[in-house]
Amino acid sequence: MKRRERMMEDLEQDIREHIEMETQDNIARGMSPEEARYAALRKFGNVRRVQEDARELWSFVGLEQLWQDVRFALRMLRKSPGFTAVAVLTLAFGIGANTAIFSLIDAVMLRSLPVENPAELVLLKWSARKAPNLHGLMSSGDCPSDMSGARLNPQGCSFSEPMYREIAGANIFSGTAAFANSGRLDLTGNGSASVISGQLVSGDFFHTMGLKAAVGRLIDASDDTPAAAPVAVLNYGYWQSAFGGSREVIGRTIELNAVPFTIVGVTEQRFTGITPGSDYDVWVPLSNQKKISPLQGMMDPLGGNDRRTDVGFWWLTIVGRLKPGTSVAHAQAVVSGMFRNEVLHGAVELFAGGKMGALPIPMAGGPNMGPSAPAPGPIPAPVPMPGGSGNAAIPFHGEAGGGPPPRAAAKGKMQFTMDVPLPGAAPAAGGAHPAGTEAPQAPSAPKTLSAADDDPQVTLVSAQTGLSGTRTRYTDPLYVLMLAVGIILLIACANVAGLMLARAAARQKEMAVRLALGAGRARIVRQLLTESVMLSVSGGALGILFAYWGAHAIVSFVSSNQTRPLGFATGVDLRVLGFTVAVSLCTGIIFGVAPAFRGARVNLTPALKEGDGGSAGTGNSGGKWFSIGNALVVTQVALAIVVLVGAGLLVRTLQNLRSVDMGFDAHNILIFEIDPMLAGYKDAQADNLYRDLQGRLAETPGVSSASYSMIPLLSNGLVITVFHWPGTPEDQTAESDALDVGPNFFETLHIPFLAGREFSASDFELAAANGGDKPTAAPTPVIVNQAFVQKYLGKENPIGKVYGSEPVGQFGTASPGYEIVGVVRDAKYNDLRREIQAMMYAPHHVGVATFEIRTAADPQALLPAIREVVGQVNADLPLFNVTTQSVQIDRLLFQERLVARLAGFFGVLALVLACIGLYGLLSYEVSRRTREIGIRIALGAQPESVLRLVLRQGIALAVAGAIVGIGVALGVTRYLASMLYEVRASDPVTMIAAAVLLALVALAACYIPARRATRVDPMVALRYE
Amino acid sequence: MSTKEQRQRIELLQGTLDLLILRTLILGPAHGHAIAKAIEFNSDEVLQVEQGSLYPALHRLIKRGWISAEEGTSENNRRAKYYRLTAKGRRQLVLETSKWDKLAGAIARILRPSEQEGKS
Repeated sequence: MKRRERMMEDLEQDIREHIEMETQDNIARGMSPEEARYAALRKFGNVRRVQEDARELWSFVGLEQLWQDVRFALRMLRKSPGFTAVAVLTLAFGIGANTAIFSLIDAVMLRSLPVENPAELVLLKWSARKAPNLHGLMSSGDCPSDMSGARLNPQGCSFSEPMYREIAGANIFSGTAAFANSGRLDLTGNGSASVISGQLVSGDFFHTMGLKAAVGRLIDASDDTPAAAPVAVLNYGYWQSAFGGSREVIGRTIELNAVPFTIVGVTEQRFTGITPGSDYDVWVPLSNQKKISPLQGMMDPLGGNDRRTDVGFWWLTIVGRLKPGTSVAHAQAVVSGMFRNEVLHGAVELFAGGKMGALPIPMAGGPNMGPSAPAPGPIPAPVPMPGGSGNAAIPFHGEAGGGPPPRAAAKGKMQFTMDVPLPGAAPAAGGAHPAGTEAPQAPSAPKTLSAADDDPQVTLVSAQTGLSGTRTRYTDPLYVLMLAVGIILLIACANVAGLMLARAAARQKEMAVRLALGAGRARIVRQLLTESVMLSVSGGALGILFAYWGAHAIVSFVSSNQTRPLGFATGVDLRVLGFTVAVSLCTGIIFGVAPAFRGARVNLTPALKEGDGGSAGTGNSGGKWFSIGNALVVTQVALAIVVLVGAGLLVRTLQNLRSVDMGFDAHNILIFEIDPMLAGYKDAQADNLYRDLQGRLAETPGVSSASYSMIPLLSNGLVITVFHWPGTPEDQTAESDALDVGPNFFETLHIPFLAGREFSASDFELAAANGGDKPTAAPTPVIVNQAFVQKYLGKENPIGKVYGSEPVGQFGTASPGYEIVGVVRDAKYNDLRREIQAMMYAPHHVGVATFEIRTAADPQALLPAIREVVGQVNADLPLFNVTTQSVQIDRLLFQERLVARLAGFFGVLALVLACIGLYGLLSYEVSRRTREIGIRIALGAQPESVLRLVLRQGIALAVAGAIVGIGVALGVTRYLASMLYEVRASDPVTMIAAAVLLALVALAACYIPARRATRVDPMVALRYE
Repeated sequence: MSTKEQRQRIELLQGTLDLLILRTLILGPAHGHAIAKAIEFNSDEVLQVEQGSLYPALHRLIKRGWISAEEGTSENNRRAKYYRLTAKGRRQLVLETSKWDKLAGAIARILRPSEQEGKS
């Protein structure tokens, strides 16, 4: 700094000396002293500039000038607070909306796994050309799996336990973790019984993840042996909420599914689960799987073999930590080799295809099938069940819209797919017990899991991207919203650019003076850019605040739709901050560039002479501005139309879904689930419990009717039954949606009977008998819907029709089939979007049940009374997923509601911003043309004609924008198509409505400046200047 | 004079001005005005240095260590700054000169291909 000062002083001295010498020379040439001095100065050039140039050499000019620019910009912005406020606010909305949506994207998709060095973790995924011959396949929803029936190229990330042990033992990774959803856990021993979620993890799970205990210790290898005492590790959040964060909890014993577990520790706070969106309350060692499985005591319908040794039962997700120096390719080659070796050569006892019946279950509700996806279509249920009954129930349990309907995110899936509730679910169709406890194990030669032709292999993918969990469900809506807010930001940019241009025009004189004083044009552009970046950064700072509120509001909206808190933490972290800063800077540059270059391109002489001007002087540049300004407004209007049309389509989708005829009355129905299996009830006992509870509940004051069903309606759960329809070829199967219901189901839900009768008490006994080991000869009574009649019976009288019966088959079990005893009106089943399919209702017996209670008034108010009734029967029977049918539907529509609400908000925002732009432009025009208008009025123009003059421009711009906007919207909205329901992406009504709405608001925005124009006083206007 | 021309000429002088300054200073230390005069004079007044631009150029050369500045007295007995070529500057001059020759030769060959051929 010192040196620079000295150099600058020297320079000044030098320059003075130089000019002096030059003057002397000129005098010597015979000029007059004044002439000589003037000539010397002219020859020397711009002294200031020379000094600036030299100064730049000796300093961090960049920084210094930046500081100057910033101070100057702040001063300028303070001088016009109105402009600054509008610009900053506009930008804050634009940037805030972007930051809010980005913070969600960040939380859901970008945040790294909450473990040590997540980059080292790899997920094992298998793929093959054809589905391997497995006893069982289970996905815990950690990654998308695709293995439905005959579909080619199945893939997944579930492996058998022996495979896991082999890989872990091979020492390829520095740590190899395996885990699986434990299924629903009934916890007792800590106050009243509750249902929690748990994950079975291998002994080195926590070690591999590099996690530490917040309290106590985590599970280690010694815990994961069959002989080890069962231990459990708690989630930090769960520990806080359920145990009050007490350290005393270590060493305490709790019972999970009636098995005592000792709590040994609590995980670090940051770790709620390895998969995004998953949130487990408790972790227990893998070796406890059999003990806590509710299937305990019965035969595992999916294999009967011990999972620990069964290479044909794939259920574990495997994650390995790469050793330093080991390449992914190398590890992959080794693991893939082991996998091929096992599936190509390991011999497995297979039941001849039989067990496969239940197998190829598409991972419904798995992450790859978000609620946005159309409801899973009819699933061709494959091979008949072993019992020969020909029924394969494929229970589906996706997550209800809002998220985990019954359980939180990652849970629940397997529940209904494979693991837990099959005892209840499978016989739903009324056929033989799926496991066929006595079903003869069909003779089958040991065969291999897969053939070399099928090219089975394992690939290693980064755990970060591989463990997608529920995140894929949020991907589409988030991208759509990100697009919407991106457009909003563009509108905001165009808006502020318009303001800046108007200001640049007003500041022409200032620019001219500065140029005349020797400012470089680049410097002026920089100065103006600094001003716009200052604006956008201020907007960004305010935007972060908006974003914080916005993201908070969205998250609480999301949380209000699930029974458990969202497994994603949102907040403004470094990445979000970086995003905002980058967006702010880009914004400032984008909207600042045009005005800045225009500002610097001033024609000196006229600008200085004319001053800011009336009409003629700025006519030229004004005209130019005029066109840029017009273009900006047209752009804004067009973009606003695009957002409005998108929002309109999404809102109409929601409306359409809401007004869908569900076929039953969803008001005033309380629903809750109980699972007597977890409390130790066996088949018949559970049936009695349900019947008992149903009777007691129906008599509770305030309850008008009560019933239960295997799963609630419109909860995304779906069961499809496959049967043989009489009169069709032997090998042809027919299918129908199926639901097991309790007594009075149709009365409770207000589904009217069209023919036949309701189930009687003896129907339930018959169904239970047929579902048991020794089916009777009488067919199970069923009630079907209209669609069923239409599909299978046509004009034939449905009542009394018997179908699905099978003679004593090759497996020795006969199935009596079903007899239609009633026909009810069509009703929606799993999802509002799915067309109503043929459906059969069978008497409920065995397994899980959800109660539906129709109340006379507010269903929630009756909850305490209902809890009491259940408590009287068994205090250890927790009610869970307590909600109302309407809330259940809201949850189902959660994504649609979220997107429609946000898109609607953004649509309004876009509209307002575009209209502010239009208003600003016209206001500027009016003030610029004050003199012209004054002359017109002085010459006798009527107020209406002046009004028309201004309005015409505004309307022309709005119409031009609307036309362009609809054109763009037509091209863009088709990307929304998958999210829409009963409205085409190019829906003309929505387009026209958006355009009309915009035109009306635009008219209002134009009217204010137009009115002002009519009030111009000709005398004042003419004296103006 | 229009802005555009002015800008072009500055760009044209960039770089070559450094060379000319170095070349001028090889004859001995000189002050700013003298350097400007010398360049004009030696180029038969063809090259009109915009005198102001000389000073940032001099500072640039000082910063690179090619010339040094010292206090002195001018012809009319006033304090003035004298610029002197450093050893580094001398080496740079040789380098720059040969670069310039190559450049000039190359451009000449392109502009007057036939003449060049005739000569060589």
